[in-house]
Amino acid sequence: MTGTLSSVRRAASCLIALLVFGVSLEAMAGEPLAIRAARIYVGDGRVVEPGIVLITEGRISAVGTDLAIPSGMKVVEVPAASVTPGLIDANARVGSTNLIAPSRRFQSLDALRGGVDPWPPDEAPVYDGPHIHDHDPHEVDSSSPQATHREDPLHVGEEFPDEEPPLASGVLSSEMVNDQSSEVVPHTSVLDGLNLASSDFDRLVREGVTTVYVSPDPSAVIAARGAVVHTQGNLSQRVLVPLAAVKATIGPEPSYVGSRNGAPSRSGLSLYARRPNSRMGLVWVFRKAFYDAQRRQQGQEPYGADTAAPEAMAVLADVLAGQVPLRIQARLQRDILTALRLAQEFGLRFTLEDAAEAYLCLEELKTAQVPIVLGPVFEPENGRRPRMENVRTRYATFRQLLEAGIPVALSAQEYRDEDGLARQALYAMRFGVSRDDVLRAVTLWPAQMLGLEHELGTVEAGKRADLVVWDGEPFAATSRIVAVTIDGQLVVDRRE
Amino acid sequence: MWMAALIGGMVLPSQAEPPAKIALQGGRIIPVAGPDIESGTVLIENGRITAVGPDVEVPYDAMVVDVSGKVLFPGYVSPHFFQGLDRSNESLPVTPYLDVYDAMDPSSRNFEEALRDGVLTIHLIQGNSCAIGAMSRLVHPIGRTPDEMTIRPGLALKLSTSPYSQLDRMSLMATLRETFLELDDYLANLAESRYEAQLQEEQKELKVGPDQARELGRPLIRDQDCDDRHRNLFQLTQGRLAAWIYCGMATDVSPALALARERGFFDQTVLVLGPEAFRAVSELKRAKRPVILPENLLYQQRDPITGDLQETFIPKVIHEAGLLFALQPDVGGSLGERNLGYQAARCVRHGIPRQTALEAITLNPARMLGVADQLGSLEVGKAAYVLVLSGDPLEFNSWVEQAYIRGVLAYDRQQDPRLKELLGLPAKQAAAVPPKSESAPEPAEDQAKEQAEEPAKEPAEEPKEPAKEPAKEPVPEPSDEPAKEPVHDPVVDPSGSGMTRSVAPRWNPLTAARGGEAV
Repeated sequence: MTGTLSSVRRAASCLIALLVFGVSLEAMAGEPLAIRAARIYVGDGRVVEPGIVLITEGRISAVGTDLAIPSGMKVVEVPAASVTPGLIDANARVGSTNLIAPSRRFQSLDALRGGVDPWPPDEAPVYDGPHIHDHDPHEVDSSSPQATHREDPLHVGEEFPDEEPPLASGVLSSEMVNDQSSEVVPHTSVLDGLNLASSDFDRLVREGVTTVYVSPDPSAVIAARGAVVHTQGNLSQRVLVPLAAVKATIGPEPSYVGSRNGAPSRSGLSLYARRPNSRMGLVWVFRKAFYDAQRRQQGQEPYGADTAAPEAMAVLADVLAGQVPLRIQARLQRDILTALRLAQEFGLRFTLEDAAEAYLCLEELKTAQVPIVLGPVFEPENGRRPRMENVRTRYATFRQLLEAGIPVALSAQEYRDEDGLARQALYAMRFGVSRDDVLRAVTLWPAQMLGLEHELGTVEAGKRADLVVWDGEPFAATSRIVAVTIDGQLVVDRRE
Repeated sequence: MWMAALIGGMVLPSQAEPPAKIALQGGRIIPVAGPDIESGTVLIENGRITAVGPDVEVPYDAMVVDVSGKVLFPGYVSPHFFQGLDRSNESLPVTPYLDVYDAMDPSSRNFEEALRDGVLTIHLIQGNSCAIGAMSRLVHPIGRTPDEMTIRPGLALKLSTSPYSQLDRMSLMATLRETFLELDDYLANLAESRYEAQLQEEQKELKVGPDQARELGRPLIRDQDCDDRHRNLFQLTQGRLAAWIYCGMATDVSPALALARERGFFDQTVLVLGPEAFRAVSELKRAKRPVILPENLLYQQRDPITGDLQETFIPKVIHEAGLLFALQPDVGGSLGERNLGYQAARCVRHGIPRQTALEAITLNPARMLGVADQLGSLEVGKAAYVLVLSGDPLEFNSWVEQAYIRGVLAYDRQQDPRLKELLGLPAKQAAAVPPKSESAPEPAEDQAKEQAEEPAKEPAEEPKEPAKEPAKEPVPEPSDEPAKEPVHDPVVDPSGSGMTRSVAPRWNPLTAARGGEAV
């Protein structure tokens, strides 16, 4: 599936498209296209200046300075433009919450994700441990009777598109991704809940993001498998990798659901108080699952209570065998160290997600040579995730990881501002990373982490024609994305 | 100016005066008013700019700061800022008798961050949740008391025609009407008593009816005759006070304009636009009043029928309507929008001329505040609010290297422990190192190189514990190069958190009493 789509398959899908949508056959096959620009950033450090990219059949056929553009070929030409590979977010949380008005109906779900405290202040549990967040003293739960007196210090009558619940994976109309029947669900797939028509994909592609690894949210200890998809294009060809890595989480997130021994009825989703409500319990769930998988591998029956589904253990056995990649999300230093410890215990190779406090354990990460999908870390340290556990991010993390020689890609996760991932790149440059390295961290390196470097990640002949055309230097604050192609199709065109 | 300096000296006797004359020499000057100067000098004398140009004769006794390779730019003006307040809104809807002075928190981190981001003048105004809110004032982000921070008090009243959690639209409009009707009533009675008082003074007899007495007495009302509740509103209706009216949505614009017209403060009105108010662009265009744009410059909406995502870049709509506009930073937002230079850069990204974008963060807000003769550009005669940037203000890689507020070095990036911490540099050591001539601004260098060098350099310095060190009287160190002597040193944080705050100035010329006008 990750490989070249066979021409038969492509022709068939074109035919279907033709029949169903009445789209011209030529367009579906990928109209030949030439892009002429002042600079082409290949993505591996090379710059072709000035440059021309020729695209046929949805793939790059040639890149160079003095290429003859065949007559009749459609040409995209923007003065002073630069071309980069399409950006890849290797840890996107793609949802479909309404863009403008994240409506109140998600409130109970927010509660599950730690977004909104479901308990009015007078009923709040006494325990004020690490899972309970820094409360703004002026903040009043909007579901409480005091809500009418709530003063919004920043805005009134405005909606905050950015202030969606922090963990909104929102796949399938913002439902929870991970099935709540168990903490160990690697046999389920994010793809089954994925809404490819979600507005988030529109926003992502406008930001220059052409490929995303759709990550399950961290609500289960061992969660569903992610998927790699194009952000735009023909529906039948959007999915690049249907069953990608298994996601695990070390951190407080799985315990948000039904922890605290309170009646979980308010949350509306969970009918029972879930089991791991401490980091210790969470680690035990992780270890038990892999113990059982190991036993199965050895032909023994798993034993004891809380045994995961056999299908789940089969997937975990593949993880143990190195056939299915593993992702572990960990933010805090201690969680990162736990992840490293667990991986060592079971001989697992994995990719670390988020890793906000990676700068506190550089040596350990360097020794383990764990690839990291970092970020978003360049938000203000007291910034937009105020209700999460206190994470001490540092602007220097990305630079320090690079200097330590740790493979690292940048991710914007759920941030989808005007330029979510591009903005992460912008920030990285401000904090001392070269443009070349920043570009790699959002193109080639994530492609490598996803095992798609032969298909994506650079502007080279033979690769898929996922390209971004900027009207100036890429990632500069004054530059705008004027065009984006995916598989050679112009999916964003802001030329005037 | 020397008066202000004298007062400053009296209020803070322990603090030494800054050098009277400073020459920022060799930088690229972007004066905003007028063409750029590739390499030139800005001369500051007693807190005011006295010369700007490529060939400025530097007085023999001026402190010369070499800023070659840097960019000199006027301090950003933040036009609508309510984050440094105890609470940004009062819970009562009508409070024209309040002043943000009483809610200011000089130790707020928002001011520290504003300074770090190059915002050197701040229009401190109450939030948007009100019908008629408190009195605003112009401040700079240095100083340890509200008085020290104040540049000019009593600039504008905040009004709103947007409903908020406590007031729906009808109640809000009714409240506004009632307030002004009550004012009419109050002023009528006051006029009558003023007329009677004058007759008494002149020992004449009252020969007119009450209606006529009210009319005749009207011009006799002085500010001091009004009580606190009505004085500011009285000034407002006389057109002597500005009104900053928040319009969250397009539908709030016309009531705001109608109110301003009806009550005589239309020419003093600035509209603070919410995210969706730009849709009233034709009304705004007719009114030709200046506008403050929302923090989020990109308005996105999904078409309910087609599902298409529509993006509107608000400054572009406003610019094309020919309106004077100012940008505000998204305080507490992401790093980009928090920075006014980035907000302006986004305007350029969307096709707005560079000069317009630069004015939207400097001169335009100064114009709206009525202080354009004093602030907003690097021009002779203006107050010296000067940024030394590492590069162009519209490049996000640029840093505020130094900030001068009226000749005081108010910020120096080399001595910003919190920033060093975030950048992965050994901050606490840096904070403990007393300012020496070596720590004067380094020549322009590649950012990455500079950071890479920093850790290697630090261990050479003797580490000290900043928290344990008692606050010393700053002793100016004799140096071979007095020109590069930093003007301030870190002041130990009185909270005892162990963090020294490098941003507090040790001398502030603007310590006039509450009512004093420094600019």
